[in-house]
Amino acid sequence: MTDLSHIRNFSIIAHIDHGKSTLADRFIQICGGLADREMEAQVLDSMDLERERGITIKAHSVTLYFKSQDGSTYQLNFIDTPGHVDFSYEVSRSLSACEGALLVVDAGQGVEAQSVANCYTAIEQGLEVMPVLNKIDLPQAEPERVAEEIEEIIGIEATDAARVSAKTGMGVPDLLERLVKVIPPPKGNRDGKLQALIIDSWFDNYLGIVSLVRVMHGTIKKGDKILVKSTGRDHIVDSVGVFTPKRTETGMLQAGEVGFVVAGIKEIRGAPVGDTLTHAKTADVEMLAGFKKVKPQVYAGLFPVSSDDYDRFRDALEKLSLNDASLHYEPETSDALGFGFRIGFLGMLHMEIIQERLEREYDLDLITTAPTVIYELLLKGGETVYVDNPSKLPDPSKVEEFREPVADVNILVPQEFLGNVITLCVEKRGSQKNLQFMGKQVAVHYEVPMSEVVLDFFDKLKSTSRGYASLDYSFKRFDPSNLVRVDVMINGDKVDALAVICHRDQAEYRGRVLTEKMKDLIPRQMFDVAIQASIGSKIIARQTVKALRKNVLAKCYGGDVSRKRKLLEKQKEGKKRMKQVGRVEIPQDAFLAVLKVDK
Amino acid sequence: MVDSARTPAAIPLALYIHVPWCIRKCPYCDFNSHETKVMPEAEYLQALLQDLQQDAALAQGRAIQSIFIGGGTPSLFAADSYAQLLQDIHAIVPIARDAEITLEANPGTFEYQKFRGFRVAGINRLSIGVQSFNSAHLQALGRVHDRDEAIRAIGAAREVGFERLNIDLMHGLPQQSVQDALADLQQAVTLQPSHLSWYQLTIEPNTVFYSKPPRLPDDELLWEIDQAGKQFIAASGFSQYEISAYARPGFACAHNLNYWLFGDYLAIGAGAHGKITDQQTGVITRYQKTRLPKDYLAADKPFTAQRNVVRVEELPFEFFMNALRLNQPIAKSLLVERTGLPLATVDEAVAEAVRKSLLMDSGTHWQTTPQGQLFLNELLQLF
Repeated sequence: MTDLSHIRNFSIIAHIDHGKSTLADRFIQICGGLADREMEAQVLDSMDLERERGITIKAHSVTLYFKSQDGSTYQLNFIDTPGHVDFSYEVSRSLSACEGALLVVDAGQGVEAQSVANCYTAIEQGLEVMPVLNKIDLPQAEPERVAEEIEEIIGIEATDAARVSAKTGMGVPDLLERLVKVIPPPKGNRDGKLQALIIDSWFDNYLGIVSLVRVMHGTIKKGDKILVKSTGRDHIVDSVGVFTPKRTETGMLQAGEVGFVVAGIKEIRGAPVGDTLTHAKTADVEMLAGFKKVKPQVYAGLFPVSSDDYDRFRDALEKLSLNDASLHYEPETSDALGFGFRIGFLGMLHMEIIQERLEREYDLDLITTAPTVIYELLLKGGETVYVDNPSKLPDPSKVEEFREPVADVNILVPQEFLGNVITLCVEKRGSQKNLQFMGKQVAVHYEVPMSEVVLDFFDKLKSTSRGYASLDYSFKRFDPSNLVRVDVMINGDKVDALAVICHRDQAEYRGRVLTEKMKDLIPRQMFDVAIQASIGSKIIARQTVKALRKNVLAKCYGGDVSRKRKLLEKQKEGKKRMKQVGRVEIPQDAFLAVLKVDK
Repeated sequence: MVDSARTPAAIPLALYIHVPWCIRKCPYCDFNSHETKVMPEAEYLQALLQDLQQDAALAQGRAIQSIFIGGGTPSLFAADSYAQLLQDIHAIVPIARDAEITLEANPGTFEYQKFRGFRVAGINRLSIGVQSFNSAHLQALGRVHDRDEAIRAIGAAREVGFERLNIDLMHGLPQQSVQDALADLQQAVTLQPSHLSWYQLTIEPNTVFYSKPPRLPDDELLWEIDQAGKQFIAASGFSQYEISAYARPGFACAHNLNYWLFGDYLAIGAGAHGKITDQQTGVITRYQKTRLPKDYLAADKPFTAQRNVVRVEELPFEFFMNALRLNQPIAKSLLVERTGLPLATVDEAVAEAVRKSLLMDSGTHWQTTPQGQLFLNELLQLF
């Protein structure tokens, strides 16, 4: 067992591609956490999706033993944090288990807006933030300039920041030596009543619920009878231990340590993230602060392609929401798509990832409707309602005032791209709040309607700045706005799942582009298909998908049978994935056409 | 399992023979054909007979009602070879006296000099792969013959007494206009064949055209060609009896009709496909012969490469995929006879097809509607 003074709990704050996962791998290697043959590049990104997309979605932890030159061995608990703007909530969760954080900055690129935001969170939570300049082996590295930038933008001392190359390993042993000196050890009373914070929980097919915890006080042992504070239910601990990064049983976890607990909890809501664990006999212990609830920024309807999958879909959502507290969902019924769920997401990437996880890990086929933000409506009667679904928008005559959410948008961008970024913000109906020149970068502060931010703002920002601009945003307030609902009709049938809410000035443009996109996406059928966009009863755009002249195989003889059958079965399969609206078959991606309405 | 539903009427039997060589492979062709300069003709004929011998039991006492020798270019073989082959086949599985025996022929000079010999050998129907009479289009299709050769070949076929004569034509060719397509048909009709196969060119996987697609006429032009062509063919005394097949009265291709009416067929030769119904159990098996000529000829390799029982749930689709290509009404009893399925199996799908105006149901028969012919793929997806 390691006494408290030899434990260091830390996170790494870094922007995507700034080398966090590579640095983590290097730590694991130096501390001998995995044999070389087990080192798969970026071992921490264990979900397939994470590895494919090169980003970290969920917090993970790893416990390492570092032999310092001072003669002592330190237990390092490294809690990984996600690196995309959609997941800042997960970051604050990871940070709450730590006493320190490494701020890793690419020495060739400089500070990014989201790192700034996360750094502030870390500082607010009382963490010691240690700047690290990475990728100094690259020719374009400018450590001096970037160190200055860190000081100017974030306001922490960085002149003698550690300089490393996670890729080659250069400077990493020194960094670890500094880490154990700079980051304070955890405080806690190992003889006190057990208080452990659930940082994360997930469902394992063999073990049931596995929780990642930080023990604040006391000790938790195998065989202990523990109590989950919020549920009031007790459970016997089957197994406790740490990730090295392999799951390794240690028999106990003590104050200051981070590790896993398995306690035969089978039900999904049995170990909520942010909850406190204690012993059954100390049920009166105080609950730890937990995490503030995050509010979803984007809502979309998700519907199983086959209505038979509804129950499986609901179960899958329950399991996912267990370790993704940001996932909100409630049943939704659509005339066009049947029974599904309206789900709240942190942003578009979050939405894509959830959809992909549902499809991959739970083998579901889903149709996603156009994402929307939440609107605030002041009704004529004085009542205020919130609408997260365009088809639920009340009759405009009953509405006194439409209000849309506005985001505080902070962008860091090299001066040369400032013009492009301002143009983008203006296009997206933004209003400038502040501009600040800091070294080579400019801190740009705008207020932009949330609906403009969540859709494709991030991608646009990246492409307009050749990848250099970075973004952080958060909800600010609701502002009055001239909003309308654009409906889409297919051969005269209004398709609820295709309706969008947008600003009056953009309605016609969006209606036009939307119908054009739909025209490309709806395959030609046996009859003409009319696609219309309307505001109320006024048609604002129309397109026609001309009828197919014929759909028949020119020839089919004795030898062709099996091949032609496969061909026709493929057509049939494709059809199954379409939704029927009236007589018209609409492919899944048509429901996302709204997303492709670009300016 | 399906015994109870089966009527005693024997399912007719045909024989397909594949000759897998061509002088040149055409860029649109996805058949099992291989370019070659020399063909092991004698060896291959020997193998065909051995192959048939091994499959003889599949005939289950039935005589062969029709034979189709396809390719490749079967007209590259000598006429005498076929005379001998047919004799030897008859000794293994009897060929019905009035059997239709078709040979696919290229309209090249080398081939048509042999037409008389083919007739004497017992072949009584020729199918000539003309594809087009337009030299530019022939070139685009990679054909080895030209317009004049094609005309001479058809003349030669008539001269030596082939009353049953098919001309294969394609339409929807690169750069083809409505006039071009009609000119091809006009020329074909002038030569007085008894049968026309008029296909739209389609790009199939594993062809040169698939990897380097030519620019084909757009949908509207294809439609105009289709409509104008059909009108012209009808006015010329041919009636359409299948999606792409047209014949003078009494001259429909018996061999192909057997495919479409879900009859049985033996198959010999490299890559040939057969379908056999067990006359006792009603189980339907499809099989395929070894595809590559050198493997087919290898003494240590089996002739049959693959054999699959058609699952009961696939039967309605297979039956309709064939039968509904025909213009004629299809007796409902044929489904029961040929598949052993009770009629109720398809009630729901038929009702849906009728509702969509793709199929007519007279009580005793089904018939594809004109709309159903245009949208046959949509119709078949219901089964």
